[in-house]
Amino acid sequence: MKRRRFRLLPHTADIRLEVRGRDLPELFAESVTALFSLLTDRRKVRARESRILRGAGGDPVDQLFHLLREALLLHSVDRFLARDARGTMESSGVTVEVAGETYDASRHALHREIKAVTAHAMAIEKGPGGYIARFVVDV
Amino acid sequence: MRFQEVSFRKLSENVWEIPRGKGMLVPGVIFASEAMMADIVKDESVRQVMNVAHLPGILRYSIGMPDIHWGYGFPIGGVAAMDVDEGVVSPGGVGYDINCGVRLLRSDLTAESLRPRLPELLAALHHEVPSGVGSTGFVRLSGQDEEKVLCEGSRWTAAAGFATEEDVAFTENGGKYPGADPDAVSAVAKKRGRNQLGTLGSGNHFLEIDEVTDVFDDEAAAAFGLFRGQAVVFIHSGSRGLGYQVCDDSLVIMAEYMRRNRIELPDRQLACAHIRSPEGERYLAALAAAANYAFANRQLLAHQARETFLKVLKAGPRDLGMRLVYDCGHNNAKFEEHEVDGRKRRVLVHRKGATRAYPAGSPDIPAAYRNVGQPVFIPGNMGTASYVLAGEPGAMRLSFGSTCHGAGRRMSRTQAKASVRGRSVAQDMEKRGVLVACASWKTLAEEIPEAYKDVTAVVDVVHGAGIARKVAKLKPMAVVKG
Repeated sequence: MKRRRFRLLPHTADIRLEVRGRDLPELFAESVTALFSLLTDRRKVRARESRILRGAGGDPVDQLFHLLREALLLHSVDRFLARDARGTMESSGVTVEVAGETYDASRHALHREIKAVTAHAMAIEKGPGGYIARFVVDV
Repeated sequence: MRFQEVSFRKLSENVWEIPRGKGMLVPGVIFASEAMMADIVKDESVRQVMNVAHLPGILRYSIGMPDIHWGYGFPIGGVAAMDVDEGVVSPGGVGYDINCGVRLLRSDLTAESLRPRLPELLAALHHEVPSGVGSTGFVRLSGQDEEKVLCEGSRWTAAAGFATEEDVAFTENGGKYPGADPDAVSAVAKKRGRNQLGTLGSGNHFLEIDEVTDVFDDEAAAAFGLFRGQAVVFIHSGSRGLGYQVCDDSLVIMAEYMRRNRIELPDRQLACAHIRSPEGERYLAALAAAANYAFANRQLLAHQARETFLKVLKAGPRDLGMRLVYDCGHNNAKFEEHEVDGRKRRVLVHRKGATRAYPAGSPDIPAAYRNVGQPVFIPGNMGTASYVLAGEPGAMRLSFGSTCHGAGRRMSRTQAKASVRGRSVAQDMEKRGVLVACASWKTLAEEIPEAYKDVTAVVDVVHGAGIARKVAKLKPMAVVKG
């Protein structure tokens, strides 16, 4: 497993994340794994099955918002937990393939409930080493 | 007093005006003491009050309560009333946890008599009241039952044997929002709601046994059935995954509505639609359904708490007198009548982390409270104190019948966790005389008393501003945290 590519920024009531990636597909994949890192210890999750997430939408921020919503739904509706994610750029936008398994109370501890990924102050910046995304999740 | 380029105008001791800046349709108003303002200007909440003032159809001012803090879209502790014909409804002005709120159960028990039984009672409550991440409720809803919950709210719980008629009557709006439409709620939201009814959730949600330590207003306390030295039960929860999903679904629909109608706002999370548009009407129908789910959820939690008390104390319902004082939400958008520019108008009031606080004489509160005003509950933190207030006439003049909803966070969750590293929060709490049971130690660390502002200072501001008055003070004795 790769080392952590995200950090938490100060926010009084909720959780604000900053994620880094060398390109947009990596940034999106890292954003998805950051979300799952908030939910559980990903080292305990086995990569048993894969799911595809699509970030449909206009600009990259829109795409990231939709992608993260889909990722959270995967957990809150299907109780899925992801260990890893891989992003690829397609003509319709970024696609992220996640590998993981269904939540199993005997092996996985859930850290918290995430109510939603918010669109508040969601931003993507291009820097010298690649891209940085910032977003807030409601907990 | 300044926030970045903005300077405030002090209107009175506890009231500050943010003058209309670029794009703002109305000024902002914040209720706070001078000392609190010094803290408030440190985060983005003032900017958020200003952003809300951009929403089409907003009336008079965008309001911040003294427990205001940085949220998403609206600040937490934000109030905004909209013109019904010209104005918009914004899901960001309600929040994800639709109709999250608080209810208080009184009892005939004294705290002193209950103290020896607390460990047993707390363990039983922790066992019987589902809490924590991923917990499921003790009621299995069929799809049909769930539709009834969404339409009927607390009334469904009475029909199903989980509530008395009195419980329903002492819930805001009689435990049922009008205009709820289950068809406006997505299949995903319904799926999320089906197994979560009667669960506390996690984060800052709780079920507490408190002691009434002070009574400030004898007449109101007597009307609410409260007395000094009494044991009471305090419950804080909301509409669970169903509500979160209703909000999430609507944000996407409203972002599209805004693009089509060329509405531009400073924050994507303020996405909105005109109240009279199909998108706005659909959201309001789904919001009402989620609000009803929240009423039913808190009723089931109260039912479980009562049953647990009866079982552990081997008593009958008449011995305990655990009547519902009131249940009121603090995340909602409601059609109400308010006076604007000298005439009564029907407006849509958004309250995000703010409580309705109707004064004495209001026809919309139970008859038993009509001489003293609507009960308002302000949870502080699990270590120090909470308050019972009553609505005051000033709320109708100044804040569209609203007041604060809590202490407001001061520390981020990460800061809170870092500050407890190496010590046991449960032991610290025990030293303060508070027993704690929790589903997650992480959550407990995030919820330490120091993470919150001083609730007494918050309550003093609304009391001083005349929007709600102090009735009683509570101190936690035993806490179940999600």
